[in-house]
Amino acid sequence: MNPDLSVSLGRLRLKNPVMSASGTFGYGLEFSPFYDISRLGAIVVKGLSLAPTPGNPPGRIVETASGMLNAIGLQNIGVERFIEDVAPRLSDAGATFAANIYGRTVEEYESVAVRLSELSSLAAIEVNASCPNVKEGGMAFGATPEGISHLTARVRKATGKSLWVKLSPNVADIAAVAAAAEGAGADAVSLINTIVGMAVDHRTRRPKLSNVTGGLSGPAIKPVALRMVWEVCRRVKIPVIGIGGIQTAVDALEFLLVGASAVQVGTANFRNPRACVEILEGVETFLREERLTGISEYRGKLHL
Amino acid sequence: MSHSRMQFVAGKIVRNEGHGEIFYRLEAAVPEPVEFEPGQFAMVSGWPGNDPLLPRPLAIFRAGAAPKGKGTVEFVYKVVGRGTALLSGMHPGESLSLTLPLGRGFDLVKDGRLYWLVGGGVGFATVFPAAAALGRRRTEYEMFLGSRTREQLPPKEWTPGGSSPGRVHLCTEDGTAGYFGQVTDTIRERMAALSDADASRLTILACGPREMLKEIALAASARGAEMQAALENHMACGFGVCWGCVVALREGDQIAYRRVCKEGPVFDAREVVW
Repeated sequence: MNPDLSVSLGRLRLKNPVMSASGTFGYGLEFSPFYDISRLGAIVVKGLSLAPTPGNPPGRIVETASGMLNAIGLQNIGVERFIEDVAPRLSDAGATFAANIYGRTVEEYESVAVRLSELSSLAAIEVNASCPNVKEGGMAFGATPEGISHLTARVRKATGKSLWVKLSPNVADIAAVAAAAEGAGADAVSLINTIVGMAVDHRTRRPKLSNVTGGLSGPAIKPVALRMVWEVCRRVKIPVIGIGGIQTAVDALEFLLVGASAVQVGTANFRNPRACVEILEGVETFLREERLTGISEYRGKLHL
Repeated sequence: MSHSRMQFVAGKIVRNEGHGEIFYRLEAAVPEPVEFEPGQFAMVSGWPGNDPLLPRPLAIFRAGAAPKGKGTVEFVYKVVGRGTALLSGMHPGESLSLTLPLGRGFDLVKDGRLYWLVGGGVGFATVFPAAAALGRRRTEYEMFLGSRTREQLPPKEWTPGGSSPGRVHLCTEDGTAGYFGQVTDTIRERMAALSDADASRLTILACGPREMLKEIALAASARGAEMQAALENHMACGFGVCWGCVVALREGDQIAYRRVCKEGPVFDAREVVW
């Protein structure tokens, strides 16, 4: 018998726990040449803002030991073009999709959320309260429990969609921030976003990124992410979406084991365009080998 | 069936040999023949482990058919860092991951153009396929190859032949082969000698160091010549989703960041903010 891969994220039921992480999957359709994108639990599209955003000047990525730094600066097509051009094609492809959003002000977050709420095909809104690479927005709201509580509450009022809040690891106590999001009405929290890092050239004596600092991702950050997901799972009752350095089915299973209800795969998509679907197949194979009837028999079953 | 559609495939190394001082030529067997536009590239990896994490962008040098409906694809690369160093240590029989063909190649459709092809350093690996395509359809061209020294020029037998081989001009900075000086010097001299009519029907196809491309772009623009520049950049994905490899382009009175991997790697040199 095939194991039941479906998972619940509050009111939302996903056919499986494997999603793409925002910023690493374009607007989803870019992966159609590689596999049927409707197979994924959900696609989380690149962060959308009210108006199109040009992003940071070149010098946007640097490879580091088992990871990479990026400072893209949220270059995106804007919410209107997404609704007009992209969303209908994602629906046609049969994909379940969520929109990551960000704003320079709380009002901009609200406006983007209001606009997206009209999109009946949209499964969820993920609030990016944690981008380290733009001066305004993102981190300014996500760094403290008070900031996240305020932002979450305002977006909560603006939309009836499932609301996920994506958390930054660059905080003193991520579990406290997660609890604040829960208290303000989030349906789920997703973590972690990238860890702020830096790379310099010892000969030219210049930073390697135009933004000077950037966000570290990839397998290098997985132990940090796993620890934070574990801490947050022990603190909140809402579902937790685990993100950070997931490259293989084993990595994904580890996040489920510490309590995550679902996972998002990010940087691995750059290296292997089929990463998400290979992870999905690997998770299914594992459950079958272990003779488990579904994800719920495994999730959070860490022996301490 | 051959494919020109982007694919992620498993390849097997057929050969991976050093040539001259710095070049490696890598041939991989792939599941089916690959059709590509000159200037297009592949993302290539195969070394074990997560470090380096990302595949490397390599220009497609040649692609062909192999027995039993399979294909073969070739690359010429230079060891510039840890990824290419690891690649250069791989052996026949070992597996590679390849995403290909990627990006937008050279536009060779116009007739009646006067073609100059310019390859600086390992940039020849990107312009040779364009030369081969022009040669196949009997379009005349001249090719300029520049390097620091004789040993860093491509082996002569790699130069595209065909029914209408172009004239090849070698340039070395130390004078050990061909023209004594930089390839940009010889381009500037030749450009100055062109009639206005010839300059206006000149198309330059170039790949090489950014400084070289910039100087040729300025010279071409001053004479009203067209130039298609194949750019390089660090890339994470190679197929347009990471937005890491952008270059600044002038679009009207705006500056826009466009992806080298998707809108490029070949750009109209007049639009590039050098």
